[in-house]
Amino acid sequence: MDLSRLKKRASFPFETIATAVAFSPRLESILAETKRISVLFNTNLVLIHIGEKTTEKEETLDKLIEKIGFDKDKYRIIWMDGDPVDTILKLCKLNTVDLIILGALEKENLFKYYVGSIARKISRRAKCSVLLLTNPSVSPKKFKKIIINGVDNIKTIHTLRAMVYFARYEKTKNITVVQEVNIPTLAMTMADSNTAPEANKIKKELVQEESIKLQAMLDSLDKMDIEVTMKTLNGKPGYAISNYAKIKNADLLVFNSPDTHLGIFDRIFTHDIEYVLADLPCNLLIIHSRV
Amino acid sequence: MYKLSHHDLIILLASMSAMLIFSRIASELGRKLKFPGVMGELIVGILLGPTILGEIAPDFSHSLFPKVGNVSIALDGIVKISVIMMLFVAGLEVQLPLMLKQGKAAVYTSSLSMVIPFLTGFLVAWFFPNLFEIKDEKQHLLFSLFLGTALAISALPVIARILMDMNIFKTRIGMIIIASAMFNDLLGWLIFSFIISFMSGGASTVNVWYSIASIIGFGLFMLTLGKKLIDRALPWIQTKLSWPGGVLAILLGSCFLCAAFTESIGIHAILGAFIAGIAFGDSVHLNEKAREIIHQFVTNIFAPLFFVSIGLSVNFIENFNWLIVVIILVLAYVGKVAGAGIGAYLGGFTKKESLAIGFGMNARGAMEIILGNLALNAGLINETVFVALVIMALITSLSSAPLMRKFLELN
Repeated sequence: MDLSRLKKRASFPFETIATAVAFSPRLESILAETKRISVLFNTNLVLIHIGEKTTEKEETLDKLIEKIGFDKDKYRIIWMDGDPVDTILKLCKLNTVDLIILGALEKENLFKYYVGSIARKISRRAKCSVLLLTNPSVSPKKFKKIIINGVDNIKTIHTLRAMVYFARYEKTKNITVVQEVNIPTLAMTMADSNTAPEANKIKKELVQEESIKLQAMLDSLDKMDIEVTMKTLNGKPGYAISNYAKIKNADLLVFNSPDTHLGIFDRIFTHDIEYVLADLPCNLLIIHSRV
Repeated sequence: MYKLSHHDLIILLASMSAMLIFSRIASELGRKLKFPGVMGELIVGILLGPTILGEIAPDFSHSLFPKVGNVSIALDGIVKISVIMMLFVAGLEVQLPLMLKQGKAAVYTSSLSMVIPFLTGFLVAWFFPNLFEIKDEKQHLLFSLFLGTALAISALPVIARILMDMNIFKTRIGMIIIASAMFNDLLGWLIFSFIISFMSGGASTVNVWYSIASIIGFGLFMLTLGKKLIDRALPWIQTKLSWPGGVLAILLGSCFLCAAFTESIGIHAILGAFIAGIAFGDSVHLNEKAREIIHQFVTNIFAPLFFVSIGLSVNFIENFNWLIVVIILVLAYVGKVAGAGIGAYLGGFTKKESLAIGFGMNARGAMEIILGNLALNAGLINETVFVALVIMALITSLSSAPLMRKFLELN
């Protein structure tokens, strides 16, 4: 498989979008959402079904495509057998997919969470951006409240650029970049030989240090006409932002793609994006910046 | 039920008062000089115990800190509870996800900073037992394992403090050191608990396998289902019960329950407390204020009682053997700096950064002293080795920051 096209390919503009066709009760709404985004960014569309190709399935899909009104020149359907996750990931690479859209339950039972559902497995491993839709609708609406994880990471600036692009097409005026401050061992260190003012000063300085870094990143970002708000939260990375997105009724929460291959240990000792995947607070967009 | 007499109670209260007040004064003085708090507490113990006061005014020393009788038993109980609580709060700060997040560099640094010091200590004790006056064959193996573990462990509180003072806590170097120290602590206490249970239990093979199976089962339960239960229960506890009394009572009650469980299956109580600490500390629902209160409570009340009691029980002058002190110091520096340094270098750091990481991880602090004290009480080491370990813990803690500054070229 020649993957040279993918290397260093920017995460945006989106040229090809894919979606997985699972013939579930939510298929129509997922296709409707996919069409909206595909039209919004003027992209090609790949519909992927992993499983046997039957006349019945073909008829169902054709009817839905006609009902939703896909542009004939812009989409194609791929039918393929195999392991759903591996095959979808492989097809995404082969077709140079920039964004794959999948339906996902907000929360899964404990067993399924540890084992991993198809959507979540793809989220952890995909080499393209992934959009998980928790409540897809046959009458899709635009993402108005967008919250982005402003973690101190080399990928974040690429994610922010991608989201400025996204927000401009979506005509969202404001995006919120959230920084989570978590200082492990702070309580233990402060308990030992520190006066209250000293402890507060150290805490404040550590928080400030983080904020300065993010502010510098935001200053270097070409925001175009998008208003970018910065918000600092105290708490465990991943959990604090997830909770914030829930409280704020966000439409879209945005994360960088994981830095490492996430396995079962990352689910047992939950951290960062795994907190979000454990209980999706809203739709989740994972930007794969390929850096 | 046995009760303390009127006189016993007065002595117990007076001794605890002396321990707390003098250790606080010493810690405050030490703070001005940027010394770790534990140092002041140890010095107070040495001053009040057989080393100084016992020599100058033996009758007064024995009457305030009796070696036998009800007061001694009561104080021993308080000190044991202190150790259990100290391990609980140490567990509260172990964040296993932090280790997973740091990737390859953390894997190399944490594993080599454990393996190389462990092998250094183990092999020296194994091939040169006479240096440490080890004669018993069973004790030979256990002592070798212990020395390896004692050299492999790190002191998270001291290390974290040093990194914060140097303003490099949130840097990549800082996070690698913290994550690796957490891993060293976790594995070190696990190994030590088994060594100590072998030592005190005289356990048969069947009992040993039963204990190992039980602790693995317990650990897995606490870190999976137990953690989920804690996540469900903590929000309720923190909002429905009185604050902060409710959550403190539940936290410490659970700590003692887990400690009792591990003690009952033949593993030392400290491991149960440590695992309970990890399970509670990892919960996103544990209120930061509750965490701070419990740390303040344990660090400033129970930890001083423990560290002062060390000076009360050992004569540091009589048991000072410069040869053993030098051997243990050399082993500690060589093993830890080489182990962590090589690990960090393989993980992608420069030579200077790797050496700085090595010296950062070299701080042993309070954890080493706790470990040594438990080994001394179990009869695994003698007082001479214990004194050498305490000195090593203090010197490594004091030398960490200046040596790190030198290699990181910081002012």
